[in-house]
Amino acid sequence: MQASRARLFKEYKEVQREKSADPDIQLVCDDSNIFKWTALIKGPSETPYEGGVFQLAFAIPEQYPLLPPQVRFLTKIFHPNVHFKTGEICLDILKNAWSPAWTLQSVCRAIIALMAHPEPDSPLNCDSGNLLRSGDVRGFQSMARMYTRLAAMPKKT
Amino acid sequence: MGYDAMASAPASIPRDLAKKKRVNRTAKLKQCKLDARREQWLSQVNKDSKGSGSLTTTSPPPNPLLPQVKKTKLKKREERDRSSESVFLHEMSDSDTPSQCPSPHTSSNGRPISSSSSIGCSSRSISDPDEEETNHREEEEEEEEEENDVLDDWEAVADALTSSPNDQDIKFSSPIKTLTEPPVCHVTEQVDSVGSNMTQPVRAAPRAWRPDDAFRPQSLPSISKQLSFPSMNCHYGVGDQKGILSLPSSCPICYEDLDPTDSSFLPCLCGFRLCLFCHKRILEADARCPGCRKKYENVPGGTPVEANESVNPLPIWAARLSRSCSVNSRY
Repeated sequence: MQASRARLFKEYKEVQREKSADPDIQLVCDDSNIFKWTALIKGPSETPYEGGVFQLAFAIPEQYPLLPPQVRFLTKIFHPNVHFKTGEICLDILKNAWSPAWTLQSVCRAIIALMAHPEPDSPLNCDSGNLLRSGDVRGFQSMARMYTRLAAMPKKT
Repeated sequence: MGYDAMASAPASIPRDLAKKKRVNRTAKLKQCKLDARREQWLSQVNKDSKGSGSLTTTSPPPNPLLPQVKKTKLKKREERDRSSESVFLHEMSDSDTPSQCPSPHTSSNGRPISSSSSIGCSSRSISDPDEEETNHREEEEEEEEEENDVLDDWEAVADALTSSPNDQDIKFSSPIKTLTEPPVCHVTEQVDSVGSNMTQPVRAAPRAWRPDDAFRPQSLPSISKQLSFPSMNCHYGVGDQKGILSLPSSCPICYEDLDPTDSSFLPCLCGFRLCLFCHKRILEADARCPGCRKKYENVPGGTPVEANESVNPLPIWAARLSRSCSVNSRY
């Protein structure tokens, strides 16, 4: 408990210091609870998610960093490895491949990498996975782009 | 809701332009929101630790939340102490015996600083208690001028003044108790410094380790985290920063500095170093090296291990499969 708190404070300081180091990631800690973080990540370029800004919610267990943070998309995203309804992310480093050496920042980077390189063979979003597995890349991309537009970009006023 | 955005966008090139524009706007909006939030937060943090302005803007004090959580508790306690003090002084002013004044630190160490605080203490016990109280109030106001909840706390003080016969015990027991326990000695310091600061702005003496002391255990809470005098905060904040900067090699798990034992501790062949505490915690958990994810083996001596059969227990396809089971694994 105390160790996780100390570590999160250190990570917070790190994030503050290198705020501009990674322009695609904005990590913000909850005002009142250091075990709740929010991240804004930009969709990687040359993907259907380009131009979208996706919000992630981090719930950090007290055993952190021995246990991975629980991360999910708050923004709807059409991606084979992200549950469409809950936003749950299927990423090995958030499950059994977690290492205490990872940080929240590096988790964000890994999620951006996952957005750019979907793994259709372990889908949480079967529709999306099936599109990719059947080779309909164009169909997948247009669906993903549509949802990026709908959910991850500002609404037309 | 957003379908009109789709429908109204005509061709591909103008659509892209419009998209870019909108994207920029979202990004800006969100940025604004986040910036505002961050600034609000930072200003709260700055409130807690005044001084070292440039430092706090770039890297705020290590424990921004703790002071806020603790603040009310500490303040309450301080006030309870102070009010009980004044109750005590009411009684003491009859006898006028400075030797009985409650200053445990004067007896605990014979440094010159302690004498000054004892003078402050004795003069306090002689002087008029009401005047004393107002002095305290002024100090308090200077000290926490930016606090909004000061008034509430004054009400609490007033309450405590009228009805708290038991608090006397707390006053006497707390400094002694905290002196025996170095990690919580900040409470004593606050109580002491409120008193001694009046006669002489010397920082309170009874501290086991100075903040820049090399022997100060890393596990001790950084004093700058505690809500105390701004000047102290400034001092300690700088000390903390120096401590971190001068020792760049820190444990990648807990981010605490590695001491000499830790830096000579090499638990895994892959060369991933960590402090002994984290290593022990990991051994109690899944016992895999954070660097290479191999199993740690009989490592207590810190000797490198031969770990070849558990290099990667799962072939790649298995690792891939394991991803798919995530739906019902932990969520």
